[in-house]
Amino acid sequence: MATSTPIAGAFPSPYEIETPPGCEGWEEMYPYYALFDEDRREADEKRFWFWNSMHFPVPMPAFDVQCIDSPYQAVGAWQNRVFAVPPAMGIDYRIINGYVYISGNPVTDPEKIAERVEFFQRRAGYYYENWADLYEKWKDKVRGLIDEITNLRVPELPEYEPDEVMHEEGRNTAFIDVLDSYQRCLRLGDMMWQRHFEFLLLGYGTYSTFSDLCKANLPDIPEQHIAQMVAGIDVLLFRPDAELRRLARRAIDDGVDGAFVEGRTPEEIEAELSQSDAGKAWLEDLEQTKDPWFNMATGDGLYHYYRSWLDEPAIPYASLIGHINALNAGEKIDRPTEEIVAERDRLATEYRELLPDEIKQPFDELLALSRMVFPYVEEHKFFCDYWFLTRWWNKLREFGELLARNDFLEDAEDIFQLGRHEVMSAFDELVLCWATGGAPRGPSFWPPIVARRKELLAKLGDWTPPPAVGIAPETVTDPMTIMLWGVTTQRVQEWARQQDPAATELVGAPASPGTAEGPARVVKTVDQIADVREGEILVCSITSPAWAPIFSKIKAAVTDIGGVMSHAAIVCREYGMPAVVGTGRATSLIRTGQMIRVDGTAGTVSILDGAAD
Amino acid sequence: MSGELTRPLAELRSADAGQFGGKSSTLGELIAAGIPVPPGFALSCEAFRLFVREAGLQGAIDSAMKRAAAGDVDNVNAASHSIAEEMRSAPVPDAVRDQIASHYSEFDGAPMAVRSSALGEDSQEATFAGQQETYLWIRGAEHICDAVRDCWISLYSPPAISYRARLGDAAEEPAMGVTVQLMVDASRSGVMFTCNPVSGDPSMVAINASWGLGLAVVGGEVTPDDYLVSKVTRELVRESISPKEVEYVPDPGGRGAVRTQVPDERRHMACLDEKMLGELVDVGKRVERYFDARQDIEWAIARDSDEIFVVQSRPVTGLAKPKAEDKPTSAMSLLMSTFGAEKKQ
Repeated sequence: MATSTPIAGAFPSPYEIETPPGCEGWEEMYPYYALFDEDRREADEKRFWFWNSMHFPVPMPAFDVQCIDSPYQAVGAWQNRVFAVPPAMGIDYRIINGYVYISGNPVTDPEKIAERVEFFQRRAGYYYENWADLYEKWKDKVRGLIDEITNLRVPELPEYEPDEVMHEEGRNTAFIDVLDSYQRCLRLGDMMWQRHFEFLLLGYGTYSTFSDLCKANLPDIPEQHIAQMVAGIDVLLFRPDAELRRLARRAIDDGVDGAFVEGRTPEEIEAELSQSDAGKAWLEDLEQTKDPWFNMATGDGLYHYYRSWLDEPAIPYASLIGHINALNAGEKIDRPTEEIVAERDRLATEYRELLPDEIKQPFDELLALSRMVFPYVEEHKFFCDYWFLTRWWNKLREFGELLARNDFLEDAEDIFQLGRHEVMSAFDELVLCWATGGAPRGPSFWPPIVARRKELLAKLGDWTPPPAVGIAPETVTDPMTIMLWGVTTQRVQEWARQQDPAATELVGAPASPGTAEGPARVVKTVDQIADVREGEILVCSITSPAWAPIFSKIKAAVTDIGGVMSHAAIVCREYGMPAVVGTGRATSLIRTGQMIRVDGTAGTVSILDGAAD
Repeated sequence: MSGELTRPLAELRSADAGQFGGKSSTLGELIAAGIPVPPGFALSCEAFRLFVREAGLQGAIDSAMKRAAAGDVDNVNAASHSIAEEMRSAPVPDAVRDQIASHYSEFDGAPMAVRSSALGEDSQEATFAGQQETYLWIRGAEHICDAVRDCWISLYSPPAISYRARLGDAAEEPAMGVTVQLMVDASRSGVMFTCNPVSGDPSMVAINASWGLGLAVVGGEVTPDDYLVSKVTRELVRESISPKEVEYVPDPGGRGAVRTQVPDERRHMACLDEKMLGELVDVGKRVERYFDARQDIEWAIARDSDEIFVVQSRPVTGLAKPKAEDKPTSAMSLLMSTFGAEKKQ
């Protein structure tokens, strides 16, 4: 039985983890505070740290560490300093061999908890009462940040300053502009993360309260039914793919679908389209659709290499071709929204009928509250993680170009191999030498560092991180860990059991019912999406709705981390295909090509070819 | 009319339970509700009383019961044995015999199931007294009469006598009805609860099923396949498939049921498919809705048509309640407790 598995000692100490051969010195990529150090050893060794593979499935490039610092600053600020969630402060993180491990900071002093209860009740109450209004304002604020990052100017360093320096009030010389602009870019990122987390705790908490109420009274209710009762219908996240379906239909209606031939590049397709009036009209439609609907990311956005559909049009074009082929084959490609609405309402009505009378009112209220918060839960991803973040990374690429033009980097993209403060330091030197006319050290200093780090990241990518390190608690009580990462006592025990290298079965959360068997396709990074073949089972750390094109090919999905609210779960339910999420280490246990069986009803994944290595 | 001896099942309603017993009257209700139930007829407890009267058994019963009242096991067994012997040699009253023959003539010699239909079925007495006699695949009016008499005899089984002896004066004079129902030649049969009896979840239907006639599951002779199906969506939520070693099938001689080994290829196979599970859930929901209570339903699936038949239903008693702790039940206080922000008193 799961509950009797001893878990003490199941996970290694963070101080016992060895550096993979050839990766010596990986620590220099990261901030001093992000490492397990001897000074904090006594405390850190006793804590439970789990690998946040939900957000950070691969080793962190140095710049991308801002997507750890900034979100954890923001989530902690809201959770600990604004809402003062009584038993939980914020989240600490440490990096081991490039992978991010996290651990919550509990509040244990009863007086302190009581003090925080006052804050929480008042402030959470205010948000619930004014949710619709606050959420509208929130969207305006985030759109404002998106506009600002889009329009942020990356200044040039001119040979001579223009006359305006003399005439214009407040006009700075270029060195100030460069430093300001870069700092503003970083700050805008922080500000986005601040907004990202403003509603998140209450949004997820509301859903999880509704879910708990259902499970207390209907102990066997499948998770996906709870999610189905809450899920939005006109969810913003489904809009981009809905727009592609519309464009696919229009291409057929206007007789230009012949241009969409599998294997053609977007440029080739567009070249053919631009030869006819109908094709031109279609292209115009596409152009208008792009803003904002192509601001989808190709992944969940926390790494710089997740680009948007605007940057990688091959992804939406692959989807368009798929939709056009499906339509021409007589298939229905529309989301059956009416059926989804009817089923959602039927589930809610029938489950409500089965509840004891005294539970019906809280059920109604929590269902209504969950539906109220759900648009945020879904949409913040589009606004923050996709739309803003893909533009933010692109802006940083522009700064990378500035550094590359001045030979501080060999390639603009190399900026992501430096920490954000290292980049600041590089700009400090660059503008200094621009001003003084002196010889810069940067061009010989930074490129070797970049080269070594690329090599390190590639090697660290082959290392398999344990799902957790440190001492596992007997029970997981931190509400945030449970709510946001789905890390429950049971999940930790399952991870402990799976430390057995001979394991051929993985247990996760049953996220979308049904069973499927097929060859596995392990996708660790976004550029591997293109390898996915018809009939395979997707095995990944976490998916994003931007991966929609491949969901029409695969038979089932398995993820390392994620709950039934994760996007893999939502999309699989939409497509009616089995999914098991939160398996802990499917991507490290399963190899591409192995036959696996996914039972999305029971939440198990079996490797049929025998134990993996 | 207290003298009524038999009646077609379809004409019974729950108000007749006092005369015909719970099982027969429930089946009458189910037929009225449009639930597929094999047709048949019922004997009232008056038929049993007539039997005791006509055969002059009361004296023998009384003296045996007196001996049993002393309470030790040997006395009880001896009393049970002597009553059974007396009863077995006594003829079924002609009036009863004629009516059985008349009802049975409508079934054209088909095999029937004969079951006891206890008064106050599901009362403790029925449970204790084991008034759950079932005789399957009975053909011919004579054999039906014999099976009916065997049901009556079960009223004086040792456990039944002990139970009544313990009640002392509070024990009423025992009586029972009998259900005679067209046999379903079942390829699979079993029991379903219109809730999960373990967790108490009312949104689930728990189904136990095995191959062949219903005896194996009800009698606990096999570990049945165990399915948990959502009442709301008919999705299979959990299943546990057990090796089903034995099954009951009609005796090749045409009378009675025999226990046989399940052939290897079927032994480890799930005996219900998704379609059957879904249909069972639908039937369960209809029965539950009709009686407005969670039901414990015995069912059988016909070999030739895959049609589901309900052969018995009764309310689930002693149901575990989902362990809803003494939690506050307002939405806001539940929300607060998610964040560990409930106010301490």
